[in-house]
Amino acid sequence: MEQILVNALGEQCPIPVVKTLKALQALTGPACVEVHVDNETAVQNVTRLAANKQIPVRSEKLEENHFVLYLDAEKATEASQPEAPACQPDRRGDLVVAVTSDAMGHGSEELGRTLMKGFLYALSQQEELPATILFYNGGAKLTTQGSLSLEDLKSMEAQGVQILTCGACLNYYGLTERLAVGGVTNMYAIVETLTKAGRVVKP
Amino acid sequence: MRPKQLRLILTFPTTMAAMAMEQICLARGIPGRLIPVPTSITAGCGMAWSAPPDARAQVLDAAQEGGICVDGLYELVI
Repeated sequence: MEQILVNALGEQCPIPVVKTLKALQALTGPACVEVHVDNETAVQNVTRLAANKQIPVRSEKLEENHFVLYLDAEKATEASQPEAPACQPDRRGDLVVAVTSDAMGHGSEELGRTLMKGFLYALSQQEELPATILFYNGGAKLTTQGSLSLEDLKSMEAQGVQILTCGACLNYYGLTERLAVGGVTNMYAIVETLTKAGRVVKP
Repeated sequence: MRPKQLRLILTFPTTMAAMAMEQICLARGIPGRLIPVPTSITAGCGMAWSAPPDARAQVLDAAQEGGICVDGLYELVI
């Protein structure tokens, strides 16, 4: 499959959307369009463009101020119409989600882990994304290698959701070297994030 | 929100069956994931297996060989 690179680093909306749209319109066959941007709002807007065209997309934060989106244009629908580039403001609200365990609720641990995976998937599908997701105690297991929620978490991170895991918790579980998404935080930052949050949800 | 894609969705009579489906698919490397049952199928609660439509044969074989009862089979843009 053809690889198309779109460099929109340093560009503000609507330029990343316009460049992506032009790359898609120029395609003559199946291609993977790789779009590089430097801000979360651009990730959200290019993701929205792909959604409108029913093109599968995944996004990833490579480093600070560097995000990449991969659009699998192979499955672009013929019905998709060119449209004016749409720019919307940042979709993150003032919500903080505190994940304190790798299981949701009390009772069966196995069921709880299944429910937590479902929760994080559904969270990633919401129109308004949280500003921050905090992971502590057993919740730290969800941000490390082998977690089945990594795809959801990476997608939300690339759209600007701050993913933070308690460092002491990673250390306790021997997972410090296995962190796979987001950053490490400490209790002062956790307390500050929770106390300054507009709303806190604890699944 | 991520872009909507066409997905094959399997629903099950019990949550245990959905979890068993996840186990067997992960063990066999069959693509897909467990998700909450889409509200376009039912307003009720439950878990469903979501897979790429082209994995239909693999998914159905896995369910059959694992003795997992499938309640419903849908192709949905979710």
